[in-house]
Amino acid sequence: MRIEKCYFCSGPVYPGHGVMFVRNDCKMFRFCKSKCHKNFKKKRNPRKTRWTKAFRKAAGKELTVDNSLEFEKRRNIPVKYNRQLWDKTVEAMKKVEEIKVKRQARFIMNRLRKGKQLEKEEAITEVKKNIHLIKAPHAGKAKQLEDKMVQRLQEDVEMGNEDD
Amino acid sequence: MVVPTAKEFIDVTLSKTQRKTPTVIHKHYQIHRIRHFYMRKVKFTQQNYHDRLTQILTDFPKLDDIHPFYADLMNVLYDKDHYKLALGQINIARNLIDNVAKDYVRLMKYGDSMYRCKQLKRAALGRMCTILKRQKSSLEYLEQVRQHLSRLPSIDPNTRTLLLCGYPNVGKSSFINKVTRADVDVQPYAFTTKSLFVGHMDYRYLRWQVVDTPGILDHPLEERNTIEMQAITALAHLRAAVLYVMDPSEQCGHTLQEQLELFNNIRPLFANKPLIVVANKCDVKKISELSEENQKIFADLSTEEIPVIETSTLTEEGVIKVKTEVRSDSRRARSDAPACDRLLAQRVNTKIKGKKVHDVLNRLHLAMPSKRDEKERPPFIPEGALNRRKAMEVDTPKRKLERDLEMELGDDYVLDLQKYWDLMNEDEKNDKIPEVWEGHNVADYIDPDIMRKLEELEKEEELKERAGEYESDEESEDEEMQEIRSLAKQIREKKQLLVLESKEKDVHGPRMPRTATKVEKKKLEKEMSNLGLDMNDKNDSHYALQARRSRSVTRKRKREASAPPTSKTRSQSASRPPRDQSGLRDVKMVKKAKKMMKNSQRDMNRQARKGESDRHVFDLKPKHLLSGKR
Repeated sequence: MRIEKCYFCSGPVYPGHGVMFVRNDCKMFRFCKSKCHKNFKKKRNPRKTRWTKAFRKAAGKELTVDNSLEFEKRRNIPVKYNRQLWDKTVEAMKKVEEIKVKRQARFIMNRLRKGKQLEKEEAITEVKKNIHLIKAPHAGKAKQLEDKMVQRLQEDVEMGNEDD
Repeated sequence: MVVPTAKEFIDVTLSKTQRKTPTVIHKHYQIHRIRHFYMRKVKFTQQNYHDRLTQILTDFPKLDDIHPFYADLMNVLYDKDHYKLALGQINIARNLIDNVAKDYVRLMKYGDSMYRCKQLKRAALGRMCTILKRQKSSLEYLEQVRQHLSRLPSIDPNTRTLLLCGYPNVGKSSFINKVTRADVDVQPYAFTTKSLFVGHMDYRYLRWQVVDTPGILDHPLEERNTIEMQAITALAHLRAAVLYVMDPSEQCGHTLQEQLELFNNIRPLFANKPLIVVANKCDVKKISELSEENQKIFADLSTEEIPVIETSTLTEEGVIKVKTEVRSDSRRARSDAPACDRLLAQRVNTKIKGKKVHDVLNRLHLAMPSKRDEKERPPFIPEGALNRRKAMEVDTPKRKLERDLEMELGDDYVLDLQKYWDLMNEDEKNDKIPEVWEGHNVADYIDPDIMRKLEELEKEEELKERAGEYESDEESEDEEMQEIRSLAKQIREKKQLLVLESKEKDVHGPRMPRTATKVEKKKLEKEMSNLGLDMNDKNDSHYALQARRSRSVTRKRKREASAPPTSKTRSQSASRPPRDQSGLRDVKMVKKAKKMMKNSQRDMNRQARKGESDRHVFDLKPKHLLSGKR
């Protein structure tokens, strides 16, 4: 029993799901759902269909070359069952998965970091340009002037007192 | 092909003639056309008869051309003379038909009217059919021969054969049932087997025929009936190993002496054939249990180098012994070797003595390397091959099959193919092997080096962590930035609201400038307070003062209508008189004018018209005019 990969979206095809198409040149195409199957029949290129993993990898939106991805490879020569080896493999699998997930997340974060910067700058320009929509230019000015006047008067009084 | 009965033959041919040749002909056609038409029919019928009869003649075998065994068999079954005669008659009929057709075609060339030609054709066809009617009995006989012939067993006279013969009911058919896959009738009465039967068996990688014959009784050749003659024919013509089956227990109804008599009578037929005497039904009576004289018979036979084998087709002992005996190789003494081996040896001998052998022998050459030193170099036979051969010869029980295990355990049996696996540790055979984990196939990760690779990866990971790659770089923003963000958010919301409002207005047509519409005081105040302005002294504001100062709106003066002139004065006023009084001198004229006006209006009014130009028709299709019959 194997979990296959969908040809179009590269998602997992569990046993009992999906459709397999065999072409006249004996190449087999597995699809996880009818969406992928129908897209394939429409002759769409998965490398150009934005929601597929193939596109994302080809456009550099996801981690492609990494050591943690080298562990999962389809092997053509079967190895004889050996309990020790299998146990070790299952443990190793779990650890590799952790590391892989971390690295993939890191990659995406790095990619999106620039966006945060741009967002900040945009906010600043927006406020600069359109502040008049929420606050009138001289909204607090009267109060400010008053406060200033009061302060001035107080200073004058103080000066007067000092003179005397 | 089926040989048809005479009636059928005639019917079929005549209907064929009718269907396949043109049918329409008229008196007034040209004579050559009429002649051609009828000649065609005659020739067509003749052709059909000829073809069919030729087919029959060629399909039946010529007794001179086939193997003498079959020729003799057919003679026994069907009588050679009768057969030849029947075929001869058919041949004659065919020739007669041809002649008839030829004659009538020749006559038709001189037919001068449609009637004559037609009569000639009728005569020709009639004669042909009569010829065929006379062959009725021949055709019937040939059909029966054909049916029987098709059911004869296919015995190859040239291949290895074992022939079973003996008295009726001794056990020949049971023997063939045991040894081959044949299913011959076995019954307690004599002459159950009425014809030859063939079965096939394998021995030493060769195919052997086993021929079962009907029982033979002891009387001279001339008195034998058809059934026995078949057996005799087989004995005479087939070069086979003969198994003479005897019944010491005398259950067949004949004493041992009689059987011996028969044996001696048929002796001449066994010349040049390997012979074995089979004492059947040994489960009933063994030779050792027989009387002295009878045992002597068997002893005599053994001294004559004829092996006697005891068998029982019921308990199957000795049956295998008859055909095989594993230890035999050609060096062994003849008397011990069984039937098959003897036959094989004999066949090989005859072939060697024949002429064709030299062709083969000339091409064979066994190269023996010359000895270069005294070292012995025997041929190498691997041990496995020797074991295999031994296992073949001795009937050792093979290894226990799964099937046997299944039969033993019955319901408890569970098919467990994992127990045959060849693993490094034997006790891991029954493990449940993990195949899938969280969407990944375990088989994709299996690698003898996996632990080493994992270590490297972990080292790498550690290095990266130390280098600080994984620290989150979210600086906590200062207050100013947060305020800016919130303000930006508010601005965006306000913008959206404005857009929605303008969409809601939905103004079609020419738009008034903003200043044309009045702005309500309340709305202005609300908006300004939203923008953060101080609305405390709104009574002193500019717009309020302006509102109080503006003047009240005065109304416009109405224009007065001027009065019309009442009397006629010389100095007439500039204002115009009304139309119904202008140009009229006195009252009389006014009245007349009025009358004229009314007159001209009268017709129009009667027609309910608004004016001269009113051509409107209220009812284009009035019902009272258009309904009913016209």
